[in-house]
Amino acid sequence: MELTNRESWALIHGMVLGALFLLAFGGGMAGLYSLRERYLTVEGVTERTPRLLIGTIVMAVVAWLAVIVGTWVVYPWYRAVPPAGTTDFTTFPKSLLLASPGTADWHNFAMEWKEHVAWFAPFLATAVAFAVAYYGVQLVRRGDVRRAAIVFFVLAFAAAGVAGLFGALITKAAPVV
Amino acid sequence: MSDKAYQDSKPNGPVAAAFVAAGIGCLVLGLLVILNTANIVTGATLDFAKNYGIGSGVGPLSGKVILSTIAFLATWGVLGFLWRGKEVNFGRAFALALIFVALGFAFTFPPIFDLVKPK
Repeated sequence: MELTNRESWALIHGMVLGALFLLAFGGGMAGLYSLRERYLTVEGVTERTPRLLIGTIVMAVVAWLAVIVGTWVVYPWYRAVPPAGTTDFTTFPKSLLLASPGTADWHNFAMEWKEHVAWFAPFLATAVAFAVAYYGVQLVRRGDVRRAAIVFFVLAFAAAGVAGLFGALITKAAPVV
Repeated sequence: MSDKAYQDSKPNGPVAAAFVAAGIGCLVLGLLVILNTANIVTGATLDFAKNYGIGSGVGPLSGKVILSTIAFLATWGVLGFLWRGKEVNFGRAFALALIFVALGFAFTFPPIFDLVKPK
């Protein structure tokens, strides 16, 4: 049982960074949603805010790392063009998918959407992290900003979710090996 | 936490700038996908990995994501400067940001950008 260098990077991209982002969403969402004056004492806000700040910053950093690793490390292996005369496309996932009408949409739809929409996650998560960092404990009194942060947080999750889901399914159909 | 720190509220301009900038980043990425698919901006032009040695084999995606990231950071910088220390209409700024994000999502959705693909 061993992983190739390419499989290891694909794992770091999808199962470490991508999964960490998606899993951390629940905690961050709960923190933002419950950050309301009527739910919390001043001490409660003081206790929660640093955790929320760390969580949102980590999520933004992880989102950037996931898309950078995905785009600059894993994606070139996925889209590599096989030499002329190649008949075994096992190590050329994009060509493998496009070789059959039954699998072509894994590239034409799934990969084409995933490779672009994934980049929304770091933009949106960074804005959320900045809002939390900028306001700190005062965020509890800025309902408009807190609600906007929740919406962006959900959109970042949706973008990463589309990318993660299709990434897993594409890897199942044509793994990067 | 002091009561003062809790009660004071900073002007929302810098945060509004970050939200609008994130929307611009998404919109620019979507527009580049549309322009590239329609062959108005060619894949060769967007292949920053090859043209500028930023990575290897990434192709046109490199240009699209680098330009959209620059758009995000530049918009954040400019609006952050213009709106520093100011209380802006946050609802309006956020609505604008949401429209940009929605357009970005639409323009990166293959059934939509395939509509502009040359026959």
